Amino acid sequence: MTPPIFKVASAESVEEKKAQLHLLPCRIHYDGDVNPSDSFWNPSQSEDGKNTAYFRGRKLDGKTFKLPEGYFGVVAEKSDPKPEQRGGNDEMTDDVEIQEHPNDQLEVGDMNGKAAFDEMIVWGHETSADASEDPYIRGMEEWITFAEQIHSYPTGAESVKS
Amino acid sequence: MARTRSKGGATTTSKNSKETSSTPANSKSRYVLPEESSNPPRIFILPKKATKEARIVSLLNPRYAKPTRYLVCPETGVYELTQIAAPKTTPRSWLIQYGGGEDGEKAQEAKLGNNTEFSVHITKGADLFVATPIDPVFLLLPAFIPSTSTSSESKSEKQSRLFVSSDDHLDTIQQSSPHQWEILRWGKIRQLFESRMAAICETAQAGDETMFRFSEDKLLAELLAKAQRMSENPLPKSMEDKFVTKALEAPVLGIKRAAVLQTETSVEEKQTEETATVSAAAESGASTPKETNSTESQTSGNSTATAPTSASDAAPELAPTITASPEVIRLQRLRIAFQFLSSSYIAAGYAATLRQKLSSTSLVDFAPLDAYLARLAQLRQEAAAARSVGDYTRKRDFDDEEVAARAEKKRRHDEEEKRKKAGESRGVRDLKKVNTSGMKKMSDFFKKK
Repeated sequence: MTPPIFKVASAESVEEKKAQLHLLPCRIHYDGDVNPSDSFWNPSQSEDGKNTAYFRGRKLDGKTFKLPEGYFGVVAEKSDPKPEQRGGNDEMTDDVEIQEHPNDQLEVGDMNGKAAFDEMIVWGHETSADASEDPYIRGMEEWITFAEQIHSYPTGAESVKS
Repeated sequence: MARTRSKGGATTTSKNSKETSSTPANSKSRYVLPEESSNPPRIFILPKKATKEARIVSLLNPRYAKPTRYLVCPETGVYELTQIAAPKTTPRSWLIQYGGGEDGEKAQEAKLGNNTEFSVHITKGADLFVATPIDPVFLLLPAFIPSTSTSSESKSEKQSRLFVSSDDHLDTIQQSSPHQWEILRWGKIRQLFESRMAAICETAQAGDETMFRFSEDKLLAELLAKAQRMSENPLPKSMEDKFVTKALEAPVLGIKRAAVLQTETSVEEKQTEETATVSAAAESGASTPKETNSTESQTSGNSTATAPTSASDAAPELAPTITASPEVIRLQRLRIAFQFLSSSYIAAGYAATLRQKLSSTSLVDFAPLDAYLARLAQLRQEAAAARSVGDYTRKRDFDDEEVAARAEKKRRHDEEEKRKKAGESRGVRDLKKVNTSGMKKMSDFFKKK
């Protein structure tokens, strides 16, 4: 059984719907909506860009991190994969495919983009997050640029010529 | 004053909640959490240039030879999905505030729970998926490098030595790489894969088809080129700190010896001295004695006579070893980069062969680095030896930790004693006070006669 393929939301499709992401310094054993949030989540921002919030009586310091250039964030919800309806234009290759795996139907699911974000706030209890330690910040800032450096390669057209 | 204010606050909040809750339940919580959703949203960071045709598919992971999720865009290439999860020691959760709070009125409405579009959502797991570009070369590797499973080994082994078409190569991993064929039909992916295959294979033209044969040397050269590109700039900060700066750091030898001579210097003073000398030594030999002199006269006035001489003795000895030359730093970066590549994208067994090949190759010469590292190891050993001599003289002044450990030990001992005493009966306790000197030992009664 092959795992399903997932479509992903593109940058344009979620542009209007913005979300604010908060990475809490604790685990909450619950998945789902928690409305109304007024009574427990009221982050405030001071003039010098420092975020403060009080969560269950504990003071949290938040630091805002922008996503690197050329990247965008998506909050996506998985939908159940369904067998794909194939169009007529790739019939030729389709025939070959069917001969090879007659029982294998490709399943395609969807990662519905619910909202986009371009920054996230990492909260720490009493202290703000340390950029050199926190795996999220490192993943975002260091890994993305590093990965681009590692995996750069000449684009198809150039290397064919050479 | 504060009291009245808090009273006011309380009334307003209660007013608010009266408005929002349609069914007042006094004994229970006013708000009932909705059923936990079984399908929590996932957080992705995706490249903007990926088109909307991009799909998440399963391909063979080059390191572990297991199907892994990748994002494939027919136009711009393949992206690797990295999952960032909170470590167990620091649990995290996402709080997603839809609506972003820009639209004041709507956000306010959302907070009151009337507007479902703008709401707050919690996810238990704090996973973050980051999609970063990956070179298709790595995705092709499983087709060439014999995996551990015996059935495919002979086939791929044989084929990798022959000139065959790209399809035949990819055929060898088709069973285990679920969406391989699917993505090859998308847009430019086939072209891209073939062009990258050429980077690690020798090619030959047969009619209008290009044939490929895997070449270890070409792969090594390709990896090395990548590593070289990575080592041109400093590595990411956390990596640079851990593997380059720390690894090449020379021990502050000599300084320790100098510090030892001054028996009355406290720990803090030693530290300031060390930092001062290190920075001075990094500059030039000429200014070293002067600088250390000034700091020492500040910190410990009584031992100025001995300290400058010993410090100035140490400094020249230190200067040549403490700084790694740019060449050495570059080589160290290169080595780390290569290790990183081979440990994250190349099967474990094959990575060892590649490393061996690298050490025998003439493409890059690690000799200056090795020489430096050998010298460094020797220096470290010396420093460790000097350190243990130093501990001798400083035996009396404990660290805070040591004191704490001692106190803890004593406390535990006392506690144990107390517990033991509490378990004793009164009779036993009283008998302990009896003067037994001059009495026969119990064992005397059981001796053989």
